[in-house]
Amino acid sequence: MAEKKTKKRSSLSERRKRFAWLVPFSDLRITLTLLSLSMILIFVATLEQVRVGIRGAQAEFFESMYGIWHYPIQFWGGEFLNPLPIPIPGGYLLGGLLILNLLAAFITRFQWTGKKMGIQLIHLGIIMLLIGQLATQAMQEESRMQIVKGESKNYLERFHGVELAFIDVTDPKTERVVALPESLLEEGGMHYAKELPFKVKVLEFGPNCEFNSHPPAQKRTGPASKVNRGVIQTASLEIRPKPEDFSSEGMNFGYVVFELLDGAESMGTWAAISHPAGNHWWAKINPKMGDLAFQPIRKNGRLWGATLRPEREYLPYSIELLGITNEFYQGTDIPFNFESEIILKMEEDETRRALVYMNTPLRHGGKTFYQYQMNKSEDYTVFQVVRNPSWLVPYLACVLVSIGLLWQFSFHLIRFLTKASKANLAST
Amino acid sequence: MSSPSRVRSHLFAWLATMGAWLLIGCGEDEEIRSYTADNHYDGPVVTWKLPEQWGENPGMSGMMAGSFHVRTSHGPRGRIGVMPFREEVKTTQIVNMFARELGHPDYNMTTIQPLIKNKKLGNRKFEVIRLEDKQGEESPPRTALLAIYRQDRQTWMFPFIADRDLINSELNRFFSFLESTTLRAGKEPVRAVAPRIPRPSAGTAAHQPTWEVPEHWKQKPATQIRIGNYEVSNSEGKALDFSITSFPGTVGGLLANVNRWLEQVNISKTDEAGLSQYLSDRTIDEKPGKLVMAESDTQALYAAIIYHQGRSWFLKLMGDVSLAQTEKENFLGLVDSFCLGDH
Repeated sequence: MAEKKTKKRSSLSERRKRFAWLVPFSDLRITLTLLSLSMILIFVATLEQVRVGIRGAQAEFFESMYGIWHYPIQFWGGEFLNPLPIPIPGGYLLGGLLILNLLAAFITRFQWTGKKMGIQLIHLGIIMLLIGQLATQAMQEESRMQIVKGESKNYLERFHGVELAFIDVTDPKTERVVALPESLLEEGGMHYAKELPFKVKVLEFGPNCEFNSHPPAQKRTGPASKVNRGVIQTASLEIRPKPEDFSSEGMNFGYVVFELLDGAESMGTWAAISHPAGNHWWAKINPKMGDLAFQPIRKNGRLWGATLRPEREYLPYSIELLGITNEFYQGTDIPFNFESEIILKMEEDETRRALVYMNTPLRHGGKTFYQYQMNKSEDYTVFQVVRNPSWLVPYLACVLVSIGLLWQFSFHLIRFLTKASKANLAST
Repeated sequence: MSSPSRVRSHLFAWLATMGAWLLIGCGEDEEIRSYTADNHYDGPVVTWKLPEQWGENPGMSGMMAGSFHVRTSHGPRGRIGVMPFREEVKTTQIVNMFARELGHPDYNMTTIQPLIKNKKLGNRKFEVIRLEDKQGEESPPRTALLAIYRQDRQTWMFPFIADRDLINSELNRFFSFLESTTLRAGKEPVRAVAPRIPRPSAGTAAHQPTWEVPEHWKQKPATQIRIGNYEVSNSEGKALDFSITSFPGTVGGLLANVNRWLEQVNISKTDEAGLSQYLSDRTIDEKPGKLVMAESDTQALYAAIIYHQGRSWFLKLMGDVSLAQTEKENFLGLVDSFCLGDH
């Protein structure tokens, strides 16, 4: 028995020697510190949620290495402490360190024995949960697909993030798209793609703005003052930059001011605004602004359209909307059922008829299509489309934790019962 | 107490972690994406290859798909346009719009025939009609060369308006331009409306200024001073007076003119420093101009001023403030359409 114990210990000490560099990370004090910091992070992010909304708090504190927090002015001593920027470790930092700490403990502190297998499985499950959450945050994409009854769609639009797209529609069958992603627009400067017959110089970009009609007699101010071509010029619009609205109901009208150059010669300066619900809404708001969905630019006998639109992802399949059902509880505005009848036109000319309704999404090609919005009067439906390659990981992690708990408790229960029966036998 | 090797081990481990985190943080930069997709664009497609000697007019209105000029040693001359119509339009309808302005009688299907020349460019056949100004005294006369193309029950019109000599010298380029066009009708109706040739003024100078006037503005007879003379009124009996005048020199300068007008609308005079509250810059007929906008409680004055080649041009709208505010857009539209007729 003693020999067996010594053997186990020697296995552990061998691992500690081999992975000596991991030992400092396995300290239980680190675990406690990280868990305490996580609680502070949750507390701070909850407070900040009131100020910047769920998405803002998530981006600033959970999807980052650190966030800057200002002590609330309403709290005791707030007038003195509020100006101080307090760094708070972010979700990526704490989550990453917790994974490292758990892995290190797993390798350099835990005994790999049947007796402790339950604890090992529980920890493995927690590691998987943490990794799964990190993977979800890194890989999950949320988009929407809006389809009008009788029409087919083969692309998604991101809820957040825009692109400046130049679309050559000269060919009647196919269009060529050259899209500058938001990160390049934020960067500004000159951009060139071999497919484009001009260079694009991004002069200004903002995630949100206000716009209004401007009296033509007065000189425009702000970003639109540089514009001399396109719909901002003809509709005489003025743009006033605004900070991004992170609240769940926030409508962000991204804008970009850009100059096109043919060699060194300027072709003019345009501006574009992105409608958060899709650029087809512009024409409905004001016919003069309809061209924000397609500002014509002609070059070398080809017609290009410029537009700032929600970032698009094209799919190798399409969805046709056959009909929608929109039911409410009698005498109320409370939805009873939103239902979209669709035909999924798959890659190899196969089709599938399906009903998408609340809690019954359509799954295809690694994406899940949830019923999101609907407009009966205008006959269109909107699906929320989620791609999360790591969606199975939390389920597997929970299974592992459950098995571990079951194992650990069963092990102790059996040992206790064996001991008790032995004691009973001895007493009789 | 920690041994030095243990401290080193701790230090290395934490540095390695921070390095790894930094690497994770520096994600891959996004790039420009280029791809093809099914063409869902349902608007009209109009494209062209512009001759090197031509330039594009940036201040094109939304009605025109394209507007150009010819680059000459005397500056930009002539106007060439691309106008898509939403439906089939008769040749006489188009021609008569220009004919009336150029002193021609209205044409019918019989009388128009001798004017129509069919021109085959590539695989397409255009109708070409030439109209010369019969009422002006300009030499060479102002001329409208109209090219009309029909396809898929839609009509495309390409007017070239300039003096006769310029049209003759640019004729081959105009035809090459027509041949280079790609024209595809859209599912959605295009926003183009019937074209209007700039209306000539009552003046008799060799280079006549032209402008486009809203239909509801009532023309009054021109006077010796007023080249353009109009009245605008509404059902409530409120009225505005609009005039176009021209004088040699600067007529006392900007401040003197503005002060005179301010007095006419019961606003006290201003000085050089206060002038800016009424003034703004505006390009009129490709020349730098000034807009004057002044409103009192009851009266308003909107005016445009151009100083060009030793003359001053004044476009002035004055009268009831509420009606003036309603007519502001029309006034600005007229200012934008104003052409001195020197190119």
